[in-house]
Amino acid sequence: MKLLVCVKQVPESDSSFIIDDSQKWIYKEPLSYKMNRFDESALEEALSIRDSNKSVGLDVLSVGPENSKDIIRRALGMGADAGIHIFCDADGYISPFVTAACIASYIKENIYDLIFTGAMSEDYMQGQVGPLAAEMTGMPCVSFVVKQEISPDQKSIYVEREMDGGLIESFELTLPALLTIQGGINKPRYPSLSNVLRANRAEIRTINSDLIGKTDPKQINSRITIPEKRRDGYVLSGSVQEKAAKLIRILSQKAFIT
Amino acid sequence: MRKPDQKLIFIIAEHHENKVKSVVFELAACADKIKKICPAEIKVIILGREPEKLSFEITHTTGLDAVAIEINELALYNAEIYKTVINNLAEEFPPSFIIIGHTPCGLDFASGLAVRMKAACITGVEGLSEAGGKICFRRQMFYGKINAHITADSEPVIITVQPGIFEPYKPDNASPGRVETRRVECAPKFTLAKGIRRCKFQDSSISEAKVIVSAGNGIGAKENLDLIYRLADIFPGSAVGGSRILIDRGWLEYRQQVGLTGAQAAPELYMACGISGASQHLAGMRGSGFIVSINKDPGAAIFNESDVCVVEDLNKFIPVFIEEYGKKTDP
Repeated sequence: MKLLVCVKQVPESDSSFIIDDSQKWIYKEPLSYKMNRFDESALEEALSIRDSNKSVGLDVLSVGPENSKDIIRRALGMGADAGIHIFCDADGYISPFVTAACIASYIKENIYDLIFTGAMSEDYMQGQVGPLAAEMTGMPCVSFVVKQEISPDQKSIYVEREMDGGLIESFELTLPALLTIQGGINKPRYPSLSNVLRANRAEIRTINSDLIGKTDPKQINSRITIPEKRRDGYVLSGSVQEKAAKLIRILSQKAFIT
Repeated sequence: MRKPDQKLIFIIAEHHENKVKSVVFELAACADKIKKICPAEIKVIILGREPEKLSFEITHTTGLDAVAIEINELALYNAEIYKTVINNLAEEFPPSFIIIGHTPCGLDFASGLAVRMKAACITGVEGLSEAGGKICFRRQMFYGKINAHITADSEPVIITVQPGIFEPYKPDNASPGRVETRRVECAPKFTLAKGIRRCKFQDSSISEAKVIVSAGNGIGAKENLDLIYRLADIFPGSAVGGSRILIDRGWLEYRQQVGLTGAQAAPELYMACGISGASQHLAGMRGSGFIVSINKDPGAAIFNESDVCVVEDLNKFIPVFIEEYGKKTDP
């Protein structure tokens, strides 16, 4: 049985995002990156399957610029067998249709029984790449998965997904299938020292995708802007003590405290 | 009858336990906004085992026409059936836009449907405007710190609309729209729906609280939650809530979760402590009367939704606030 986990590098959440001169994208330079939180959960879910069955193969794939290799190495450090990097250095916004087409073309040529992605990326928050790639390859797909269990004959998988309002839906899918994993459903492991040493030496297979620029992106990012304030947004000034005193005054005037 | 120059808009109506989801009326408001930019006929599409009765609720409230599609195999939601049936309907009556809720259910089939229909798909839409004859859709990116303005390069366009943004479309004195009921058969090939159950329980403590003090990732460590409870003690009628990440970590209970997949709250005062303000959280608290946010990141998106902004580390600020308050009450 072979598993594939798709991972993405995302900027840290406390980064400042500065709009560049084109007004279409942000300056990439001062940003530091990490593995998307949802993808970490997806990887942990796949690793847990392999923990209980050592014959399972587990590859990790990332579509993106050169620094995608950093998170592929992190995934190898966590325990993945091999890394694949579909290099794509498009400047600015990459449509989920392009990313999904890259993944789909790789899946069509390399056989996997089960594919994992995060339910969404923390930076674009589209939730599209997994379901798109599944449909492009004709696989069934369930999103926001919180639990999975492969059948003993390895021909199907039982999954539970999260809906709103604390409800859980369950499905049985024929393999091969694609699952997008909800964040926070497990505790992603830290890379182990022996795996990190192996990861540093490991060769990452790099594919220069000729699909970039050829795939119809379907959508165009015409510009980006700073969100407008929807409320007053009165910023308190002064020392911590002064700010606390001001807030007490405001809340007293509004009669929230006495 | 649709005029020749009119486009067609589909709204996909989500329902659960024989109730139409409230987001459907917000989708209708979004459709109405698109219609004002490009003339269009709107049709609400509802799929289910017995969808007709549900469709009447929609046609009576909105005055829009509906197509109720009875599918015997659809006792439970199934993405394969949704994609197949909507795609077949779209081949018969090609829509320019399909509007779906940005919900766990909507997101589950929207992108796959787009591939089948060779449509564009834009998710998490929070607003729209006209740009050079096309419709430009606004959505959040980068933790809510940036808005992207996205256009589709071709029609049809599928969009998923963020709940809690558009004012529900309930026009006065709407004369009820017509319902066309169809019956189709559709057996899924690879996806078998097994059931639905409630695993987490909500109570009314969050939705009925006058004041909510809420914690997010900025809390840092579980022990620091004590600060949040101490802060909440200051306010009569208060409850402690939190963003999803703290519930995932098991630091707070599910009934305390505020946001898209948790409670929708509109207290008189909402204190957001160390909450970044991603759209999923905002969906649960945007309607609050007065919003105070404490966050050390001056660029945090929550500040755009706040009446008062405190740019400080909550673990430094809250103890000082509690101390200052104590001085005021015990002179």
